[in-house]
Amino acid sequence: MSRTRIAAAFAVASLIALTGCGANAGAGNNAADDFPRKGKTIDLVVAFSSGGAVDTAARLIQPILEEELGTNVEVINKPGAGGQIGYTQLTSAAPDGYTIGATGSPSVVVSPLDPSRGAKYTRDSFQPLGRQVIDPTVIAVQPDSQYQTLKDLLDAAKANPKSMTASTTGLQTGEHFALAQTQETTGAEFAPVHFSEGASQATTAFLGKHVDVLVANVSDVTDLTKQGKARVLGVMSDERAPSLPDVPTFKESGYDLVAGTARGYSAPAGLPDAVAKKLEAAIQKAIEDPAVVKKMEDLGLQTSYLSAADYKQFWANQEEDFKKVLPLVTKTD
Amino acid sequence: MTERAPRVAPSVLVGIGSFAAVGTYTLIDSIGLGLWTSLGPGPGLFPFAMGVLLVAMSALWLIQELRSPSEAAAVVDRRLVIEVVVSLVILAAVMDLLGFQLSMFFFLLYHLKLRGRRSWVSSLIIAVAGSFGAFYAFNYGLNVALPVSAIPLLNTIGL
Amino acid sequence: MDIFNDLLGGFAAAMTWQNLLFAFLGCLLGTIIGVLPGIGPVAGVALLIPLTLNMDATGAIIMLCAIFYGTAYGGTITSVLLNTPGEAASAITTIDGYAMTKIGKAGAALTIAAVGSFVGGTIATIGLVAAAKPLGELGLLVGPPEFFALMVVGISLLVALAGKSMVKAVISGALGLLIAMVGIDPVAGAPRFTFGMDRLLDGVSFVAVIVGVFGLSELLSYRKDTATANVHAPNFRSLLPTGKEWRRSAPAMARGTGIGFGLGLIPGMTGSVSSLLAYGAEKKFSRHRNELGKGAIEGVAGPETANNSHANAALIPLFTLGIPASPTIAVLMGAFLQQGLTPGPTLFTENSEIAWAIIASLFIGNLLLLVLNVPLVGLWTSILRVPSSILTALILLFMVIGAYTINFSVFDVFVMIGFGLLGLALRHLDIPLAPMVLTLVLGPLMERSLRESLEISQGDFGIFVNRPISMVLIGLGLLILFSPLLKLRKPRALTEDPET
Repeated sequence: MSRTRIAAAFAVASLIALTGCGANAGAGNNAADDFPRKGKTIDLVVAFSSGGAVDTAARLIQPILEEELGTNVEVINKPGAGGQIGYTQLTSAAPDGYTIGATGSPSVVVSPLDPSRGAKYTRDSFQPLGRQVIDPTVIAVQPDSQYQTLKDLLDAAKANPKSMTASTTGLQTGEHFALAQTQETTGAEFAPVHFSEGASQATTAFLGKHVDVLVANVSDVTDLTKQGKARVLGVMSDERAPSLPDVPTFKESGYDLVAGTARGYSAPAGLPDAVAKKLEAAIQKAIEDPAVVKKMEDLGLQTSYLSAADYKQFWANQEEDFKKVLPLVTKTD
Repeated sequence: MTERAPRVAPSVLVGIGSFAAVGTYTLIDSIGLGLWTSLGPGPGLFPFAMGVLLVAMSALWLIQELRSPSEAAAVVDRRLVIEVVVSLVILAAVMDLLGFQLSMFFFLLYHLKLRGRRSWVSSLIIAVAGSFGAFYAFNYGLNVALPVSAIPLLNTIGL
Repeated sequence: MDIFNDLLGGFAAAMTWQNLLFAFLGCLLGTIIGVLPGIGPVAGVALLIPLTLNMDATGAIIMLCAIFYGTAYGGTITSVLLNTPGEAASAITTIDGYAMTKIGKAGAALTIAAVGSFVGGTIATIGLVAAAKPLGELGLLVGPPEFFALMVVGISLLVALAGKSMVKAVISGALGLLIAMVGIDPVAGAPRFTFGMDRLLDGVSFVAVIVGVFGLSELLSYRKDTATANVHAPNFRSLLPTGKEWRRSAPAMARGTGIGFGLGLIPGMTGSVSSLLAYGAEKKFSRHRNELGKGAIEGVAGPETANNSHANAALIPLFTLGIPASPTIAVLMGAFLQQGLTPGPTLFTENSEIAWAIIASLFIGNLLLLVLNVPLVGLWTSILRVPSSILTALILLFMVIGAYTINFSVFDVFVMIGFGLLGLALRHLDIPLAPMVLTLVLGPLMERSLRESLEISQGDFGIFVNRPISMVLIGLGLLILFSPLLKLRKPRALTEDPET
């Protein structure tokens, strides 16, 4: 008696299931050809908190990526450990094109090089898709600071090592390297404070006068300078930054030092070729979009696109370069 | 006021023991992580403090219990716990294999019909709605993908 | 009138039909969670986070906020009609609410509670509007040491108020911090307590832990005596309170708003503290204080206004300082973070539009709750007639979906089951769960600010006492923690806080 009912129930259940099978069947096969599947969201992992330059750039290209790829692209912030948490998530995702991420060097290049970080990825875990910008590092002080020039500041830091605190966006990030290189070339030593969630936390702490010196990128200080909330003393680039025309480079001040952050987009390694091509094309289009370039300029960011292959080569070169200076920023005990 | 129990309840002792054990483990493990490095406070500093806190509190609690044992806690319905937990574990174990719809259907049926003794009609309606219905609502309505079966035969018919 | 313009912009954003729908759905779901005994606001909000995963940030947060304060109202219904509070902040309402039901005034009690909730919630939201900008700027003064000290105060308060034993509360808090530490160290990048499992590198999933510890363990500790209730909704006409009842409620509502607002601002205070104190205030100051306990309208109006005022005021420290004041807000903060929004002083500078849209939706939500709840009391009571076996099955269904969809992995379902058992053990040992949720969310923030502070001071722990703000806060925290030793008795109303 009840057995027939069970049977009937199964019949009903499987019928209902079958009605929908057309829509669902074959999902997962031939992922490359129909990539991206409409309605399936592409996650863009940003390894820093919202509000920083990495996040802003990702959110600028996001609508154009959506247009180009014809599906939702969602920016997901995974801040922490100077980018390592986000990079771990990015590289452990399936290489199906539905997870891509913003990658910034040196953090992404260096984190796998230091064994004490126990990073689960290497350079080969990423498939570079395209580089977007190079953002030179700057050094800034409070607007009411007694230091008017870079030389004033560095001489003071040399005379009294570690008497001033300086922000970074985490251990072994671009800012940390810049500080170490400053010490190496000029002898000026600051006490680094690592705001490992990203530039917006570092900037907030600087504005509240909890750190003396802000080490950041050009894009982070462009607005602060306009509002008179920071005095930028030097840019670590070959030429002056267009958005900070009055700020001398380190070279002009007599210090041979160039440092910055290079940012681009990558996927977990192993994308099917067709998927990679589509993503690369969409990202190039988004990065080079005139409106995006203009907005980036307003933020103090100079677009400098590199194709996937070139970005990959650039990455490899950076790895070589940073290997040399890594001992400056690793713990010694 | 209930009368004072003569000694500490065994479950409380087990609890205190395991908190102390977790604390000790944390303590030891965090020393390995490094309390302080040349770069400043290390990854182990904060866990170390927590380990110390946990061990200290367990000790304090033990002293409190020895002085005046707490009243026996209410008994749990062991059958309920076992039935729910075991069924959940089985569900989670087979979900990737059978897919959300089938595994959830049987799970709900078990809870409604066998445990809850509802009528067949209401059990089936709710089980179908909660498994197949929920799958479609989440997949297509909310764009949240629930797992499909790993068995090719079931997968091709949309389960 | 900058604020006014911002707020108008917020209303424009919140009034799109999608966002209105989200606010409506949130109120609806929140009320249901509030009505259902067993799922409290903490597990309820955590359970529904997966529903919002694919929404845009504004809609998602609007819905979760609506769920959050919807629960504050839903709990009232069962308190009044059944003498069983649907959630802890309404526990005290049972005394006079149920007494009113027995003398046939259930309708008036429910209406007054809804109006009180609306008044309290709206005034607290106005406070949020007024305080947001100035407090946000004040937020810059809060550097890493002050931030750390503030969290110490919040946790000590919760620990001091939670349950009978402070030792157990500290254990609960320490456990939460330990769980939060699993995964990659947020500063130096070293994996901690992952036991070699790659799955754990990203940490233990917050939602799975909360759903397990609060939801599943509650379900597992059900007793057999939870029989299906036999309730009757009051008919429509009896919903209207008399003029005299209105007049008597007004001062009680005013007191409730003040108490809830004040306590809501303090990290570590839960909504039930507010409602307990509001009831206490009525006992002291009401002109009809000798009627309390026998069905006096003040005993409903005061606490119910207070807990909603509290719920909305508690958003102020979250929005301006990034500090969750209570376990439920901590869960809400988890949702913010998941949406890429960092609550705190930067919220109004970087995501100003979203922030104002959420604030505007609080006004809308409070209004929705008022129009939704009073006429729909019948519907809510019918939920209570659903047999418990069906409810259990459906709640389990939602827990599994909720845990699964965070990372689309069965692993998190197992995590949820494991933490359900842990929660059951903690309940059995009489260890309060509230400190654990708070530290679970605060853990990474606390650790980070501690390490940043020590980097600023280059290893000198004195930084916490050398700076005036953090010195006062740390002192306050210690005073709270050692108050039992100093024989400072906590008010009796607080020791009976059922939320802990």
